[in-house]
Amino acid sequence: MIRNINKLLKKEKDKKPTTSINLENKRAKEALSGNFDQDIETFRSIYQNCSDVVFRSFFAFGQRKAMLIYIEGLSDVEGIENFVLIPFMGDPTNSESLNDYLEYKMPVSKVIKINIVADCIESISNGNPLLLCEEEVNAYSLGLAKREQRSLEEPVAEGGIRGSREGFTESIGIGTSLLRRIIKSPALKMHSMTIGDYSKTNVVLAYIEGIADNTLIEEITNRLKRIKIDGILESGYIEEMIEDNPYSPFPQIMTTERPDIACSNLLEGRAVILIEGTPFCLIAPITFFSLLQSHEDYYQRFMIGSIIRWLRYLFLGISLLLPSLYVAVLTFHQEMVPAQLLLSMAASREAVPFPAIVEAMLMEIAFEALREAGVRLPKQIGSAVSIVGALVIGQAAVQAGLVSAPMVIIVAITGISSFMIPRYIAGIAIRMLRFPIMLLAATLGLLGVMIGIIAIAIHMCTLRSFGEPYLSPLAPLKRNELKDVLWRSPLWMMDTRPHLTGESNEYRQTQGQRPSPKKGGETK
Amino acid sequence: MLGKGNELYFMQRILLVLSTCMSILVLSGCWDRMEVNDLAIVTGAAIDKSGDNQINLSLQLFIPKTLASGGGQAGGSGGGKMTITASQTGKNIADALSKFQGKLPREIFWGQCKVFIFGEELAKQGIQEQMDFLLRHSEPRGRAYVFVSKGKAKTILENVPNLERYSAEVLREIINFRIGMQITLQDVDEMLTGIAQAAALPYIKIDKEQQSEGKPIKYVHIDGAAVFNKDQMVGTITEAETRGVLWLRDEIKGYTISTEIEDGKGFVSLNPVSARVHLFPQIQDNKWKMTVDVDTEGTIVQNETNINFEDPKLLEKVERAYQKSIENRIKDTLKKIQHEMHTDIVGFSKEFYRKYPKEWKAVENHWDERFPEVDVTINVIAHIRREGYINKPGALPEEEVKEK
Repeated sequence: MIRNINKLLKKEKDKKPTTSINLENKRAKEALSGNFDQDIETFRSIYQNCSDVVFRSFFAFGQRKAMLIYIEGLSDVEGIENFVLIPFMGDPTNSESLNDYLEYKMPVSKVIKINIVADCIESISNGNPLLLCEEEVNAYSLGLAKREQRSLEEPVAEGGIRGSREGFTESIGIGTSLLRRIIKSPALKMHSMTIGDYSKTNVVLAYIEGIADNTLIEEITNRLKRIKIDGILESGYIEEMIEDNPYSPFPQIMTTERPDIACSNLLEGRAVILIEGTPFCLIAPITFFSLLQSHEDYYQRFMIGSIIRWLRYLFLGISLLLPSLYVAVLTFHQEMVPAQLLLSMAASREAVPFPAIVEAMLMEIAFEALREAGVRLPKQIGSAVSIVGALVIGQAAVQAGLVSAPMVIIVAITGISSFMIPRYIAGIAIRMLRFPIMLLAATLGLLGVMIGIIAIAIHMCTLRSFGEPYLSPLAPLKRNELKDVLWRSPLWMMDTRPHLTGESNEYRQTQGQRPSPKKGGETK
Repeated sequence: MLGKGNELYFMQRILLVLSTCMSILVLSGCWDRMEVNDLAIVTGAAIDKSGDNQINLSLQLFIPKTLASGGGQAGGSGGGKMTITASQTGKNIADALSKFQGKLPREIFWGQCKVFIFGEELAKQGIQEQMDFLLRHSEPRGRAYVFVSKGKAKTILENVPNLERYSAEVLREIINFRIGMQITLQDVDEMLTGIAQAAALPYIKIDKEQQSEGKPIKYVHIDGAAVFNKDQMVGTITEAETRGVLWLRDEIKGYTISTEIEDGKGFVSLNPVSARVHLFPQIQDNKWKMTVDVDTEGTIVQNETNINFEDPKLLEKVERAYQKSIENRIKDTLKKIQHEMHTDIVGFSKEFYRKYPKEWKAVENHWDERFPEVDVTINVIAHIRREGYINKPGALPEEEVKEK
C-alpha cells in the first residue's frame, strides 16, 4: 500500500514545477531603452491593473517630460511634493542640466542612478519613487520611502526584569539599526538579499567579520540562496527551509525579538538573519543548551544566574517526564513510592473510572488545548477561558470523580514547568515529546521511560545546527565551554568564546580581570 | 543532500519504524500492568500455627475508600478503620494465599508490606518453610521488618492503635527508634544461613493500659527479643538483655542508662552520644577468649544526686559508674545467652571464623558446646562529654550541693 502511495507521490513530483515566470521576470534583466515613451510604456504594462501604483507625469524645468512612479502609501508624499515637484515645476526658466541637478542639487538624501528594469521595480516596490526623464538614459531612485510602521515596543514574548526594553519590529531597517546601535564597529557586516518570487522579502544576514567563521557565513548564504519560494511571511518559512534536520521536533535555529540577545550571539560568532515583516530574527548555529539560556542569566549576579539555570534544567526534566513517571509508578511500580503516599494516591484514585494513562492523557490534552486556546483567543475572552479551564479542570473534574486530585497537581506542575524554558519553541518540542513517553510509560513502565529518554538522547546526538553538534559542549565534550552550560561563570572568567565551526577568534577579553580593590590603575 | 527518491525512501522507512514500534507496544506491552484500583495493598502480615501442619495467614489490607477525599463524602477522616484484617488457613503461605485470592476482588500486593509477624507457636516449630516464600517471591521487601509475637500474631494486626493509623505502621515506627532489635527479612536470612545459624527477632506483645474511665487501652509493645537456634525459637530475653545484645552487636543507639553513684544517694541517667564496639577473638592453648572493647560517650539527662559536675574528679566518679553499669549489662546478657541459651546471637562465631578459620573448622559442628566456654573480657571506656544545660543539680539549694 505504501508503495502505491509512493508511486502516486512520485507522479506528482515528476511533473515539472510550474515556474513563476511572469511579465516582470521576462524583462527583468533588460536595460532601459533610453526612449522615454517606450520606457513609460514598459512600466505601464508591468504595472497593469495595479491601482495602487501612481504614475505622475510633469514637465521638469518647463520643457522636458518627466514621470514619477511610486506606490501609494509606501512613499513620502510630502517629500515628493516639496523636494521633487516644487523644485522641478516651480521655475520653468531654470536651464541647468537635469543630470547635475539630480546628482548634486536635489534635496533628497539618497538618489541612485539605475538602468535595469528589475532594479527599477525593486526600487518602486520598496517605496522609493522612480524618476524618469526625457533625454535621460538612466532612471533615478529617490530615497523617499516612508511607510506606516509600529514604534519600538517591549518584546511581548521575551520579557524580563533587567535589560533593554526594545524589541525588533516588522521593519528591517529598524532591525539593522538596532543591531548597529549596540555593535558600532564596522566589523559588523550585513548582507542583504531578497527571497520569495512574489513577496520579494528583504532578508539581511548579519555577522561580525573576524569573529564569525567565513565558511559558516558562506554556508548560510548558500542555503538562503537555495530557497525558491513564492513568499516569505515569517521567519519560520526561512527556518524550515534552511535547517539541517527537518525531521526533528527540536528547533535547530533560534528565534528572538530582542536585539541584545541577537548581539550577544553575534559576539559569540553566530550569524543573525533579519527578515522583513516579522519582529523575530533567526540565530544560527545554536546548541540545545543555548535554548535553555536566558538573557537575564547574564544580567544578574552569576550565582543567581547559575541557580536559576539549574532550576530550569530540573524543570526541563519535570516537564518531559513527570506525567510519565507518575503513570509508570502507578501502574507498574507501586512498591517504589513511600507507603503513606501510595495509600493517599490509591485513595484518591479509588473513584476514578479510567486507567492512569487515560486519566493522564485526558488531562494533558485538555491542558494543551487550554494553552492553545489561550494564545489564539481575543484578549477579551482570554480571562473567561482561563476561569472555565481552572474550574473545569481543577475542581469540577475532581469532584465529578473523573480525575484524581494528584493528577491535577501533576498536570499543573508539568504545565508550568514547560514555560520555564526561555525559548518557546524548545518548550513546545519538550511538551510534545511528553506524549510518546507517556504511552511508553503506560506500556512498559520505567523501562519504557528509559527507552524514551535514550531514544531522545540518541536523536539529539545526531542533530547538528549548521555543522555544530546539537549537544555540544557536552557531546562532544568541550571542557572549556562547560563554564556556560553547567553553571554561569562570572563574566570576568568567561575569557574565551564558544568554539562553533571552523576557525574562530578565541579570546573575547583580556584574561585575569577579576575585580578587586587591590588592583590599581588600568589592567595591562 | 537527499534527492527526491531518497526523501521518499526516508519517509517510507520512518513509517515502517513507527508501525513496528506501535505493534511492539500493542503486542507485548502491558503484561504486568496493574492499576492501583485493582490492588489489595497489604500493609502487614501475620503468620500463625493452626492445627496440625497448617498455618493461618492473616493480612492487614488497606481500604482506599476510607481515605478518599473530595467527591461525595466529605470529611471521611477519623471515622472507620483504615485497614481490615482477614485470615485464611492453608498448608503454607502460598496455599493460604491462593485461597485468599478466591475471596478477594483485588490482587494481593506485597510491595508495601513492611511488617511480618510470626506467632510464637509457629516460631517454636520453625520458620524456615515460610521464610522461603517471603524470600522467593518478588514482591515482599527484603527490608520489611520481622517480629515474633507473644500468643497469636493475628491479634497484633487486629489491634487498633491510637496514634498511628494502623498497627503495622505502629510497629514500623517503633522499630525505627532502635530501642530493641531491628531485624529485616534479609537480616533473618543472613543470620540463619550464616555461620552462627542463630537469630534474634524483636518479641512483641499486647499490653493494656488501665484508664481511669472506660475500657483499658490496648497497645503493642516490644518486650525484648525472641532467640532462634537454627530456625526454631528457643526462648526469649528481656528488654535489658536485648540492650546487652545490641551492645555486643554494635547496634546500640537510643537508650537510657541509670547508674547508682556510691556516695551520692540516687541515680544519674545518661544517654549515649556515640558508641563503638569491637570484638577481638583470641585462641591461646586451646582456650577461646573474646575481648570486647566498648568505646562510648554519653550525655547526662538527669541527675538525682547532689553531685556538682563542675568538678572533674566527681565527674570521673560518675564516668566510672557509667562504665561499670555498661559492663554489668553486657555481662548479664552474656551469662544468659552463653550459659542458659547456648545460642550465639551476638556473632562471636563470625569473628573467630575470620581470624582462625582452621581452628574454627574443628569446632564448627559443635559450636553450641564451645560457645559457652568462650572466656569474655570486657573493657569499657566511657566518657561523659555533655552535662546538659546546667552543671549543678537543678533546683537544689546551694548549701546542699556536694562540692568535693
